[in-house]
Amino acid sequence: MKTENRFDLPQGTLDLLIMRVVALAPIHGYAIAQRIQQMSREALQVQQGSLYPALHRLEYKKLLVAKWQPTETGREAKYYELTARGRAYLKDETENWKRLTDVVGLILKGTVEGIS
Amino acid sequence: MSWLQRLLSRKQLESDLDKELRFHFETQVADKIRSGIPENEARRLARLEFGGIDQIKENCRERRGTLWFESFLQDVGYGLRQLRKAPGFTFTAVLTLALGIGANATIFTLVNAVLLRNLPVVDPKSLVRLGDRADCCQNSGPKSDGSYSMFSTQTYEQLKRTTPEFEELAAMQAGFENRAVVVRRDGSQEAAKPRMGEFISGNYFGMFGLQPAKGRLISDSDDVAGATPVAAMSFATWKNVYGENDSVVGATFWMNTKPVTVIGVAPEGFYGDRMSSTPPDFYLPIATMPDEMGGKGMRDPTQNWLDLIGRVKPGVAVVPLQQKLSAELKRIYAPDPHFSAADIAKVHLVLTAGGAGTQSMQENYASNLKLLMWIAGLVLMIACANIANLLLVRGMQRKAEMSVRTALGAMRTRIVRQLLTESLLLAGIGGLAALAVSYGGARMLLMLAFPGDQHLPISSRPSIEVLGFAVCVALITGVLFGVAPSFIGAKAPPADALRNGTRATAGGASLLQRGLVVLQAALSVVLLVGAGLFSQSLGKLQHTEMKLESKNRYILHINAQAAGYKDEQVNALYRTLEERFHEIPGVVKVGVSTFTPMEGNDDGYGVHLVGQPGIQTSATNIIVNAEYFDSVGTHVLMGRGITAHDTATSPHVAVVNEDFVKALFKPGESPIGHRFSAGDEPAQPYEIVGVVEGTSYTDVRRNGKRPMYFGPLTQPSEAGYAGAIVVETSHPMSDMESTARRTLMEINSNLAIQKFETFDAQIASRFTHERMLSTLMKLFGGLALLLATVGLYGVTSYTVARRTSEIGIRMALGADRTGVVAMILRSALLQTLFGLVIGIPVAFYGVTLVKSQLYELTTVSSDALLMAVAMLLAAACVAGVIPARGAASVDPVRALRSE
Repeated sequence: MKTENRFDLPQGTLDLLIMRVVALAPIHGYAIAQRIQQMSREALQVQQGSLYPALHRLEYKKLLVAKWQPTETGREAKYYELTARGRAYLKDETENWKRLTDVVGLILKGTVEGIS
Repeated sequence: MSWLQRLLSRKQLESDLDKELRFHFETQVADKIRSGIPENEARRLARLEFGGIDQIKENCRERRGTLWFESFLQDVGYGLRQLRKAPGFTFTAVLTLALGIGANATIFTLVNAVLLRNLPVVDPKSLVRLGDRADCCQNSGPKSDGSYSMFSTQTYEQLKRTTPEFEELAAMQAGFENRAVVVRRDGSQEAAKPRMGEFISGNYFGMFGLQPAKGRLISDSDDVAGATPVAAMSFATWKNVYGENDSVVGATFWMNTKPVTVIGVAPEGFYGDRMSSTPPDFYLPIATMPDEMGGKGMRDPTQNWLDLIGRVKPGVAVVPLQQKLSAELKRIYAPDPHFSAADIAKVHLVLTAGGAGTQSMQENYASNLKLLMWIAGLVLMIACANIANLLLVRGMQRKAEMSVRTALGAMRTRIVRQLLTESLLLAGIGGLAALAVSYGGARMLLMLAFPGDQHLPISSRPSIEVLGFAVCVALITGVLFGVAPSFIGAKAPPADALRNGTRATAGGASLLQRGLVVLQAALSVVLLVGAGLFSQSLGKLQHTEMKLESKNRYILHINAQAAGYKDEQVNALYRTLEERFHEIPGVVKVGVSTFTPMEGNDDGYGVHLVGQPGIQTSATNIIVNAEYFDSVGTHVLMGRGITAHDTATSPHVAVVNEDFVKALFKPGESPIGHRFSAGDEPAQPYEIVGVVEGTSYTDVRRNGKRPMYFGPLTQPSEAGYAGAIVVETSHPMSDMESTARRTLMEINSNLAIQKFETFDAQIASRFTHERMLSTLMKLFGGLALLLATVGLYGVTSYTVARRTSEIGIRMALGADRTGVVAMILRSALLQTLFGLVIGIPVAFYGVTLVKSQLYELTTVSSDALLMAVAMLLAAACVAGVIPARGAASVDPVRALRSE
């Protein structure tokens, strides 16, 4: 367990990460968690307890759509993909996020006394 | 997927959720096995990483947004089960709510219909009425306070001409209740029947913005002298009498023997310009009013007989308009010789809201209805106290249950919500039952208030407002008294509550519970005293000496003028009536007169002694035949009555009553032989030939205060045609009405019976109002007593249940049964006594508020008080004895073992 490396994700960020992963190809919940873990180089470990409620919320908000499909092992899994609305939402929110991090980065740039 | 779809496809969503999470778990396990971990270990690790699967599921369910509704349904189902489990509690609570709220909804139905409702016309808010009093039916001359509410035809026309502020100013006959027209459809074989006809100005329907249901309505062109006489029919008459037959429109009807064409039917629901138990059947234009219907008087510029209602143009302010109309009225009255300069200075007119029409019924019933509203409110308070008590008791009984649930992990909010749902459910059921009660109650009330075949345009069906009112009261009661016990229930630290559980030995009912019972007892005693007083008042009224004989007397009314009789023909008619009615076997006396005792009419004229203009009074004039006094049972005290020898050619005489003598003569002075004049005109004076008892004619409250003089039928007088026939028979004759009808038909087929009643029924109908109040007060008093008894019983039996083990110990230690019964009874009676201590002064205060509605009672009578106290104590004994006997039959061994 890499609890010391885990982040507390800011509000709403998990949605953004999930949608980014889903944007690549239809994907089921377990794979989403794995993918986020890989892409963050093991820094982020999404708990099932947060993942599934978030997925369902996005589904009910019609940003994601889900269908049941067999996996390569032949089991049925619930695959999520982005809706048109979800794609637009992801685009907007990604830009917002970038702007926000740029701005926050600008301010936090350099070292301040007392903070190493 | 919408919210509703999510709610409906719950099963599918559940299985999907389960499948999805299981897939995740299995894949995780499979991955771990692949990485070389043994299966058992892999499963254990995966389970650890996964966390509580049910917690995750619950979180996912919450995202659906339907959870609250599901748990609400769950709560409702659970609540219903709980209510079913305690049928005694549920029944008592629902009954209490149904009666408490139902009584209020009933009264509110009437208040809403009588006091708050506007006429069913276009934009009733822009209507104003000229005048603020509902006068009836015709008057003349200056008013002492200078405020005018009725106007003559000429005044109406002048006001209409000079006020462009009105879009329309319409006139309608004031107090048309007394002016039935006799109607027979042309070509039909049926006898002529009395119907209500109201005279209106041509712009009446236009002013109200009404459209005809059939044909056309009366317009200005119908309301001109010389126009073809036409009439519009009310929808109710068209429906009830003529079966919505289209042929009615355009048909000729004989009204008071004159042909009138019915041109159309007024819209459905329109009941005229005022709330009345006798709404008009026909609307007739003023200008074509024939003399037979009083047209001569109506064209007299000094006779006021019209109510005026107008629709003001937008933006017209009331105050300047009122000033302008007052000034105009002054100008109109100034040349009238009856008005002195001082009278003219006082002349003014008050504008009132006209949306509800002329509010004569509102004036009559407002104080009664307000009183009833208060009473119903008190009953509701008692009912609420009952509900509060029941719910409190129940809350405490369920403390242990709540503790178990809390201990098992139920959230406090969830418990409160559940208890709240339960009490709302109870309130809902109670509210529904209350609607049924109010429907039945309103019907009963209308029947009490307006007995016989009167057509009050009030529906007893609860309106939207009443529905809302009942639901609101039910909800407030439910929430208020549901929340307190639920908090008490949820607050308890589970461990404590579980430890104590039902083992409390000390304490019985809480102070709050006892307080509620005391309040109930106090309120019931107030209502019981009230009920006693109102029934005493009614008894006093009914048993007032009316100085008449009503046994085997029948009274019928005809309208000779409506049947086409002229002045020179009526004397012959009177003679024929006497003869024909005497021919009926069993008839003893036949009285003919203008009015009969306890009929309610009252025509007052100023009278003064001849030669002594300073000695004057206002007196009622009635003309009678020779047998009249005997027929109604009025005794002659001095001199003689009217006899057959008093004819048109004999000296002008009158018989006066005791009150007349009291008003005009000194004590001991004989009035016989004195002469007096009546009315404005210096008419032929009357010579007093006899004195009769002061029989009650309008209202027993005015006994001894109403001077009257009786003239012979055949001599000129102020009164109109005699229309009342009193028939005295030797034995009860149930077929008198049909016999009388036949007799009249034989005399003239146009002579219709306008009203037939036994003398007793006529007298009884004068007390309808009081009887209704008294009945309702008794009903509400009984209701209050019942509710208070149930409340006291509930608290006492709760106490007994709580103290079972204590009582067991007492009895094990040697207390006998009587001692136990006395102990329980003592506490029940103590609460009742506290209630009496509070209630009696309140009752005394309450009576000062309703004094005006009582007859000859100004404070709480000892009878009413004793009765109320006795009834309450008796009820308290019953409510106390039943649980007390239960307590005394406790088997000490079992009571102790049950701990």
